[in-house]
Amino acid sequence: MPTRRNVLAGAAAAAAAPALAACGESAGATRMTSATRRKPGQKVKLVFWTWVPLQKAAALWNKRNPDIRVEVQMVPANTSGGYQKMHSSIKAGNPPDLAQIEYWALPEFMLANGLTDISAYGADKLKGEYVDWQWKQGEFAGKTYAMPQASGPMGFFYRQDLFDKWDVEVPRTWDAFRRAAMKIKKRSGGDSYITAFSPGNVVWFSSFPWQRGARWIRTEDDTWVVDVAGRASLEVADFWDGLLRDKLVAPIQDSQSAFFKGLQTGQLSGWLGAQWQDALIRGNAPRTKGKWRVAGLPQWEAGRHVSSNWGGSATAVLQGSRHPVEALRFAHWLNTDPDSIDLLVAAGYGWPAAKLDLKKSALGKADPFFGGQVYNEVFETSDRNVDTSWQWAPTTTQSFGHIQDNFAQVFAGHGTIADALRDAQGRIVDDLDAKGLKARSAS
Amino acid sequence: MTTSARPQAAPPRRRARPDRKAWRFLGPFLAVYLFAMILPIFYALYQSMLKVERSGPMGFGEPTVVFAGFENYSLALQQTSFLEGFGRVFLFGIVQVPVMLVLALVLALLLDQVSNRWAGLMRAAYFLPYGIPGVIATILWGFLYVPGISPVNDMLSTFGFQPDFLGYDNVLWSLANIVVWEFAGYNMLIIVAQLKSIPQELYEAAKIDGAGPWQTALRIKIPLVRPALILTCVFSIIGTMQLFAEPLVLKKIAPAVTNDYTPNLSAYFDAFANANVYMAAAKSVLLAVAAMVLSFGFLSLVNRKQRSRR
Repeated sequence: MPTRRNVLAGAAAAAAAPALAACGESAGATRMTSATRRKPGQKVKLVFWTWVPLQKAAALWNKRNPDIRVEVQMVPANTSGGYQKMHSSIKAGNPPDLAQIEYWALPEFMLANGLTDISAYGADKLKGEYVDWQWKQGEFAGKTYAMPQASGPMGFFYRQDLFDKWDVEVPRTWDAFRRAAMKIKKRSGGDSYITAFSPGNVVWFSSFPWQRGARWIRTEDDTWVVDVAGRASLEVADFWDGLLRDKLVAPIQDSQSAFFKGLQTGQLSGWLGAQWQDALIRGNAPRTKGKWRVAGLPQWEAGRHVSSNWGGSATAVLQGSRHPVEALRFAHWLNTDPDSIDLLVAAGYGWPAAKLDLKKSALGKADPFFGGQVYNEVFETSDRNVDTSWQWAPTTTQSFGHIQDNFAQVFAGHGTIADALRDAQGRIVDDLDAKGLKARSAS
Repeated sequence: MTTSARPQAAPPRRRARPDRKAWRFLGPFLAVYLFAMILPIFYALYQSMLKVERSGPMGFGEPTVVFAGFENYSLALQQTSFLEGFGRVFLFGIVQVPVMLVLALVLALLLDQVSNRWAGLMRAAYFLPYGIPGVIATILWGFLYVPGISPVNDMLSTFGFQPDFLGYDNVLWSLANIVVWEFAGYNMLIIVAQLKSIPQELYEAAKIDGAGPWQTALRIKIPLVRPALILTCVFSIIGTMQLFAEPLVLKKIAPAVTNDYTPNLSAYFDAFANANVYMAAAKSVLLAVAAMVLSFGFLSLVNRKQRSRR
């Protein structure tokens, strides 16, 4: 009969076994994807980590595909903990089959060897059903690693009622934007601002240099070229420095309680945001129903329609999945099936990566929250005018961290946005170097 | 007969295998301790000397793990923001630890004066914040800090003050406030326990010598709770070095809390956001060494003082 001590020792040894096995260090993923053979009729369960509320779409899939059950597990959004969780599960060798990963984060997961090459399972045949530039976000070295889901074309959400009250015209250019900002601040007695400036959200900020034509990162052969402080970026930075200096925008972190309160109370009479934020505004400021409208981004040159993108994500099959074929099937269905897309639209997931006819989808409907405006027509134009050659570095979390740290100093009264970008330039090159990548500074 | 026989037989048996029995009780603890504490330390030391090498187009080829010696350590020590994190927790500790311990000591001394009927209730009330997890405490305090939502800000602004609790220059002290709130009661309890162990005769002797409550507190109670103060101080130094949950939670509403705000946060972001566990291991080892140097340094400092006084 085993004594208590033996049992405990055995349990301890069993617990230690995986820890010791991990000593055979692998860079990145511990377990590689491989398809387990399925007997006919055998049921498969796929685990899907996401923060987008797409449970309804998954439920529809489960109803239609009883053999392949998808279990949606909610994780914290992106860098608030979701990506941390994914990286550690890849490292630990027990990842979910599917994961929500934003376009900007895909190169980071690539670098950790965390994504399954789904070309091997026939993904490339599906390419024609997606918008080309969104598909390319998941392509690396000629192979496909993620199924695109949605992007985030930028626009200007504004309160029609307040604009009317203060006799403010919807700004078409950035000059007009500044004038409108001054008018709003003056006529509201300093109680309202034309937009918030999100001090901690560099991905949001980067959409403005993106619109101006800056390319923060690009690749030349196998070298990463960093250019966060080029002429276009600094011009945009100077513009925002001017607004901040004159206190014409509210320094409020986006998508936090203070931001939502600003939307509810009219402290924010506008917001430069992405299409997927329609659901956030609708959900967090329900009493402002009917008062919102959407316009395109203000322009640097009058009469043009240059736009940019904030956010957007893909459905990826993580490295280590045991059911890549089924996972790919689900990912494709989720992002292209018209019924699924309508459910995702209702959940506020973004601008579809699937090619679709706006008029036939839920996106093409007039929305009472936006005063009956078919506001997605604005975003359709915006999406068509995004410069899609923008690339992301495989060290974005870290690199944007430097810019964010510098922004924090700007808001404490030290330096300017332009200084913040100039200071980050060299550090971002160092980050790439430290990862063992070839990198240089543009000029 | 049997009752008298047993006590005679028992002592030699107890003397024969004293350590074997002890090991049986210690075994489970030691096994878990070994696998959950000691082995990971060596594993972290091992990992801290590795790095990933990349090849192929844009570095997306098959990565390999190679031995790096002390490269991670030297990179970490060259990273200004990581070193600034140490400076920050050091500054934090120099201010927060004394404030908290003085508060704990004052509360403990006051409780010692209060009649017994209320002491228990008040002790529980002061101790209560310790029962609230740091994450929850920070979320709660966060609501009191955010302008536009915080009633504190609203109240102060009616008097013409507009403090920015989450601003770049203030957020460290807002964090300190949370930590004081969480741990002052806990430290108070340790000091109270020590106060209770002071023999009553000393108080009587002091009274006879004409000492009032102030004199008793300063000359008898404080010198005699010295061990408790040293203990709480060492705990606080280690706790300060490991500052993590509070800044991580506050980061969401306070952009001034950067990724490298504290050394622990920096290691966390390296491991889980940058997917560089090797750098994170090196940073953790550096942090452990710093915590060890500071706590043992503090201990030897107070011990030397004690010895020289004798």
